[in-house]
Amino acid sequence: MDSALIPKGLKRCSIGKFYLGIALVGAVVLWGVYAMLLVWIKGLNQTNMNDSYGFALWIWADLGIIALGGGAFFTGFLRYIIGKDELKNIINYAVVIGFVCYASAQLILGIDVGQPLRGWFIFWHANVHSMLTEVAFCLTCYFGVLVIEYIPLLLENRQIDKVPFFHNLGHNMHEIMAIFAATGAFLSFFHQGSLGGVAGVLYGRPFAVREGLFIWPWTFFLFTWSAAAFGPCFTLFVTRLTEKITGKKLVKQNVIDLLAKIAGWMMGTYIIAKIIDTWYWATVTAPSKGFTFMDFYSDNSFYGIWILIAEIVVGGIIPALILLSPKGRSNSTALFTAVSLACIGVLINRWVMVLQVMAHPVMTFENWFLYVPSWQEVATTILPVAGGIIVIALSYRYLPIFPQEKELNP
Amino acid sequence: MKVGRRSFLSFIIGGAAGTAITPLPWKLMDDASIWSQNWPWTPVPPDGEYSYVNSVCTLCPGGCGISVRKVDDRVVKIEGMKGYPVNAGGICVLGLSGHQLLYSPTRVKSPLKRVGKRGEGKWEKISWDEAISEVAKKLSEIRSKGESHSVGSIVNADSGTIPNLFKRFLTAYGSPNFMTMPSMQDSYKMTLQLMQGVNAQAGFDAENADFILSFGSGIIDGWGSPVRMFKANSTWKANGKKVVQIEPRLSNTAAKSDKWIPIKPGTEAALALGLANVIITNSQHSQKISQSSGFESFKKLVQNEYSTDKVSQITGIDSASIVSLAKTFASASKPLAICGRGQGSTPGSLNEFMAVHALNALVGNINEQGGVWAVPEVDYIKWPEVNLDETATNGVQKERVDGAGSEYPHAKSLLNRLAEVVNSGDGSLEALFVTGANPLYSMPDSKAMKKAFDSIPFVVSFSSYMDETASNSDLILPNHVCLERYEDVPTTAGLQKNIIGLTRPVVKPQFSTKNVGDTIMLIAKALGGSIAEAFPWDSYEACLKETLGAKWDVLVENGFWSDSNSKTVSGEFNFYPKAMESLSNFSPVSLEGSTASYPLVLIPYDSIRLANGYIGDPPFVIKAVEDTVLNGKAACVEVNPKTGKELGLTEGRYASLHTPRGKAKVKVHLYEGIMPGIIALPRGLGHTAYDKYLAGKGCNFNELIGPAEDPVSGLDAAWGIRARLTKV
Amino acid sequence: MKEEGKHNKKAKKYGMVINLDNCTGCGACMVACMAENNVPFKEDESDKLDSITWMRVYKLANGESYPDADICYLPRPCMHCEGYHGHSPCVSVCPAVATDYNHDTGIVSQIYTRCFGCRYCMGACPYHARYFNWWDPVWPEGMTKYLSPNVSARMRGIVEKCSFCFHRHQLAMDKAFLEGRTELEENEYQTSCTQACPAGAITFGDLNNPHHKVNQMVKPDNKHGGRPGDPNAFRLLERLGTNPKVYYISSKEWVRRAGDNYLANEDRTVQQH
Ligand SMILES: Nc1nc2c(c(=O)[nH]1)N[C@H]1C(S)=C(S)[C@@H](COP(=O)(O)OP(=O)(O)OC[C@H]3O[C@@H](n4cnc5c(=O)[nH]c(N)nc54)[C@H](O)[C@@H]3O)O[C@H]1N2
Ligand SMILES: Nc1nc2c(c(=O)[nH]1)N[C@H]1C(S)=C(S)[C@@H](COP(=O)(O)OP(=O)(O)OC[C@H]3O[C@@H](n4cnc5c(=O)[nH]c(N)nc54)[C@H](O)[C@@H]3O)O[C@H]1N2
Ligand code: SF4
Ligand code: SF4
Ligand code: SF4
Ligand code: SF4
Ligand code: SF4
Repeated sequence: MDSALIPKGLKRCSIGKFYLGIALVGAVVLWGVYAMLLVWIKGLNQTNMNDSYGFALWIWADLGIIALGGGAFFTGFLRYIIGKDELKNIINYAVVIGFVCYASAQLILGIDVGQPLRGWFIFWHANVHSMLTEVAFCLTCYFGVLVIEYIPLLLENRQIDKVPFFHNLGHNMHEIMAIFAATGAFLSFFHQGSLGGVAGVLYGRPFAVREGLFIWPWTFFLFTWSAAAFGPCFTLFVTRLTEKITGKKLVKQNVIDLLAKIAGWMMGTYIIAKIIDTWYWATVTAPSKGFTFMDFYSDNSFYGIWILIAEIVVGGIIPALILLSPKGRSNSTALFTAVSLACIGVLINRWVMVLQVMAHPVMTFENWFLYVPSWQEVATTILPVAGGIIVIALSYRYLPIFPQEKELNP
Repeated sequence: MKVGRRSFLSFIIGGAAGTAITPLPWKLMDDASIWSQNWPWTPVPPDGEYSYVNSVCTLCPGGCGISVRKVDDRVVKIEGMKGYPVNAGGICVLGLSGHQLLYSPTRVKSPLKRVGKRGEGKWEKISWDEAISEVAKKLSEIRSKGESHSVGSIVNADSGTIPNLFKRFLTAYGSPNFMTMPSMQDSYKMTLQLMQGVNAQAGFDAENADFILSFGSGIIDGWGSPVRMFKANSTWKANGKKVVQIEPRLSNTAAKSDKWIPIKPGTEAALALGLANVIITNSQHSQKISQSSGFESFKKLVQNEYSTDKVSQITGIDSASIVSLAKTFASASKPLAICGRGQGSTPGSLNEFMAVHALNALVGNINEQGGVWAVPEVDYIKWPEVNLDETATNGVQKERVDGAGSEYPHAKSLLNRLAEVVNSGDGSLEALFVTGANPLYSMPDSKAMKKAFDSIPFVVSFSSYMDETASNSDLILPNHVCLERYEDVPTTAGLQKNIIGLTRPVVKPQFSTKNVGDTIMLIAKALGGSIAEAFPWDSYEACLKETLGAKWDVLVENGFWSDSNSKTVSGEFNFYPKAMESLSNFSPVSLEGSTASYPLVLIPYDSIRLANGYIGDPPFVIKAVEDTVLNGKAACVEVNPKTGKELGLTEGRYASLHTPRGKAKVKVHLYEGIMPGIIALPRGLGHTAYDKYLAGKGCNFNELIGPAEDPVSGLDAAWGIRARLTKV
Repeated sequence: MKEEGKHNKKAKKYGMVINLDNCTGCGACMVACMAENNVPFKEDESDKLDSITWMRVYKLANGESYPDADICYLPRPCMHCEGYHGHSPCVSVCPAVATDYNHDTGIVSQIYTRCFGCRYCMGACPYHARYFNWWDPVWPEGMTKYLSPNVSARMRGIVEKCSFCFHRHQLAMDKAFLEGRTELEENEYQTSCTQACPAGAITFGDLNNPHHKVNQMVKPDNKHGGRPGDPNAFRLLERLGTNPKVYYISSKEWVRRAGDNYLANEDRTVQQH
């Protein structure tokens, strides 16, 4: 049965080994599900969040994985809209990773709200002024797009493909994929941006607030840009990781090189914009509200200036330089280091834009608020990661994700 | 029919799509959210008929008028009563939470008889008849042995009908041992007696004063009648009147005063006399007063012993400040000096009271507008003499167990001595009644007090709550709480005018409780004979109506009765009563403990957000306590950062606090407002009884301190104790 | 925000003036609020980061050493920020319109049954005036009797905050309506905390009404975002542009300066205007 499901001509590990791995990861999933049920049944008192730290680990994880999942929309944009045809060899995987990231994000939001049963009020009673409303609509629509993009992949499974209806459906869906990719790119542009807007519009929070264009603070554009820059890095990171685990080359180097080069350019330009943004905020925005730049990075035991350096230099400038140099891209270790650093960099950025915003005291008579997540928060954060690993593993095993796999592994 | 893979899949997909377009999932989604909006475990407060009832709050001696908002027969909110002469609509945290006490899980819901060991918490519910006859049986036994004088009572105060019913009961029964909870009012009364020869309460015409010199009195920390003092404080601010606060800690009062002068604690009397010296030397004193008897001796005392330099040395206040303070005080048109530390819940050193009173006399403000008034008690309680039978006649002539009236001739009650006397075997009590008081919590060295109680064979509590004393008694005959009962409240807490308030039942009693006035009368009746005859009334309510006479109607109508014109009594002023002689060589009340093993000095501080008397903080009030006062289960000790550094203690860390009387685990709060070398703990924490919202939080200051007998008054003069604070 | 732009001439702007010189830090306002608004309590309330206190009294210190140390209490209800045209920090972010700026009264509402607990509004409020119900509210047996029917008890998982005792406004308006009036007298609508304060430190009323004490006390300049005309008056974090409707008065410069953030050499009085 198992071998009948595996794509023709491709080698996969033994069923025992595979499902042992799945079982191990599954145990982590169960742990996460247990924590999730605790939170749903007993409420958010299972977390260590508090009234000053209302947004915490989960929202960071949410923003983080959505940024990392940006590889899907941006690769799709490059492949279908710009016409970078080589990328067809990695787009499937980008879509699977994106699907996993967005599904995870939706799940986390469902756990994070205090009244999950009323979560749909965000659509029904939508407030058009709220960035979160924009996030909810675009995110959900884009998730729909990802589902539509994922379905034809599913239909390519050897057994499903045997059914003529599904075969034709899959074929027809592939034909119109460019429309969905365009829609996805458009939606992503907005929801990545509105996630940035979530922090940027908080004019009561001098650490987060940014000026901007029309209704959008600069963080809106920075988030979209960074998702486009760092998302492909995550796609490359997972691809490389998959190659290491399976011990096979799955995508040709020229494809990797192209995506890495584009990511490098995006990152380089992004980081310049980010530095300008930080500079303007530090020298104009913050002082106009009575803060010096160092007010945000001192007098507490965690948020030192190191975090800004880690984000911009270690997680931005350095990987950008590596990816921009042909030598860096062609060296497998350098490339892997670069995409790893880039992922960390964007995760730090999202961390800072959520957690440091909450931690920084605004009223003069308050102190920094620091918090340590509870195990339930950690478990529910790991849950989608573990779930994602399973989805990716199953997809890889049973679907012809990598068009070049057969050729590269004769 | 054969179901092929294809038709099966079509069925599934079609079914799913079909369901989605039916209203079912949407309806379920809607229902789920509606359910979350109406969770059956989230209470829905029932509506009903709204009404307001005026009454008087008895939760502290402040005697504020309250307006209680009701819905049907439920109390939903307590507000200050507009136009009430004490609080004029204002109210404090405790008064606001009175309804939480009414509906508190810690209430004693029926008479209870101890079945386990004392304090074990095992009780049996009994009927009121059983409870009364149990007490009567015990008391008859004691009486028949000729030991009637070995019965005592501890009552919250000594004015009003309830304390007087207890007094009357003991008299008819044959015991002199009527004891009251001590406070600064005892010291003030004695001061007025010694210096003015009058039997009166000290009243302060605070609103009309224009310069208030406070020797550590917590004007806005609960001193006197709290709400009234808050209002006075705001009046001073509005009219530019000045307040100078003298104490070693930046209390709320100090922070809100115009000038805070830190002083070495325990040397306040020396400062008062030093100020007197400057005033006399500068001839700023009232000329009339210099004719009073003892003035010359007083003048000699202050000039010889309280020179500015010497006082500066004693108090740690620089000479220039002393001189300028004396000048501004004396040149104010209505200066007023007050004392009684914090909320005034401890009597303090009599010397200090006399020295401060002398300062008032010097500037001529006794019985004057804006000054200190000697206010005679309202004598509305005019009951017929008690007919004493032979046992009673013998009994009442016996010496009191606490030595009041004998060892200490001026004292009326010296509850602070009870523990030591009983524990040393010098006096014994066979039975003790406690009402409106929680001595096992609120008397200094509460552990010694508990030991003394343990040796009293029969302890009866009349408490409405399962407090520390009630939990360690043999029998509880629960009183109604103030929202359920009638009671007259003569307000004595520093008011310059006689005011009687009427506490009245706002709602029906929630449980099987009885007004303690009725209970004591039922016990008397059960005892029969002359004891029963001493209580000719059918019920407490009848007794109250008869006692108040014409005032009753006024009280029912207005909620209060007040003297139409203020009365004061003035006797011959004596500047230098014999009692003051000990001041000829100043020595502060000595602190227990050696400097070597206890390098620090621990003082208590009072906060209006912490009730430290009979009533413990209800949940709302404990919720309002700052996290730098109570943190988790630990009380925070205030330490100057300099001292903290020396001891290696940082903010928020645990430390072990030792005094010669006890120890406690505390958290450190570094506070720039406290004198280095001195540490302070809040009073009102560390309950072991009451409910989970109060019990086990912080430590009880009274377990760390012991009483110090004032050589003249016999009252407790302790203001602190030596201590050691170490890292844990 | 539905009403944006439609500015009623007779619109009220209810606000508060708190005189910090008079405030004693007694906490009566906190407790009066809890009692009026059915605020729940739990066993341990000493962690102030999860303790629901619509009104919270902060203790400020001047940062000096003994004996120059000074403290001041600062009661903090919800500021009912107007922001720019009712664009309050918290209202504009709520994705479900569970909190709203009422242009007729200037009151920022909170609709418990609408709120789904995303806590975005809490993140937006720089005053920490919003509280999340981390737990189900539980009263000890018998104590639910004192709950007031005027204010619903809140369920777990949602946000709540000071409402300026809005039910009192509704009751007063109902009474006025029955008496054929559409306007309220100043004393007809007063908040629970104002009424309770034993020091008389809180004054409440319509900032737009020159006959109301609050207006006379701080002389708000509506043309310039309501900035106070009285030199001793200030608002918290005014520089952020939140346009709060709670004003403070203090005679002490260090207290006024503690109300907002200033660069080391900045002159407060210049920056404020
Ligand atoms: N949990 C919760 N409780 C609430 C509220 C809330 O928001 N949440 N809202 C409160 C408010 S504001 C209100 S007004 C009340 C409403 O409370 P109810 O007055 O109980 O309102 P309905 O549920 O509409 O029920 C009215 C009943 O009248 C019947 N009915 C309809 N038309 C007619 C008719 O012509 N003649 C007769 N004889 N009967 C008819 C309906 O079938 C129904 O049984 O609920 C209050 N209770
Ligand atoms: N579909 C449908 N529509 C209906 C009805 C129906 O049965 N079905 N019923 C109708 C009826 S009878 C009515 S009365 C209306 C009710 O309609 P609304 O009056 O809109 O009722 P709510 O939305 O429940 O709440 C009103 C406001 O009160 C605020 N509020 C709630 N609790 C408090 C509080 O403690 N303090 C303060 N200050 N504010 C608080 C909320 O934030 C909200 O802004 O709806 C009507 N519309
Ligand atoms: S001050 Fe005393 S009498 Fe007045 S309300 Fe408070 S507790 Fe009651
Ligand atoms: S009730 Fe009044 S005095 Fe007390 S803390 Fe509140 S504002 Fe200050
Ligand atoms: S104080 Fe906070 S909750 Fe209140 S209106 Fe302003 S931002 Fe909103
Ligand atoms: S927590 Fe409630 S009120 Fe706050 S933003 Fe979310 S839905 Fe709106
Ligand atoms: S205005 Fe009302 S809701 Fe707001 S803090 Fe005061 S009492 Fe509480």
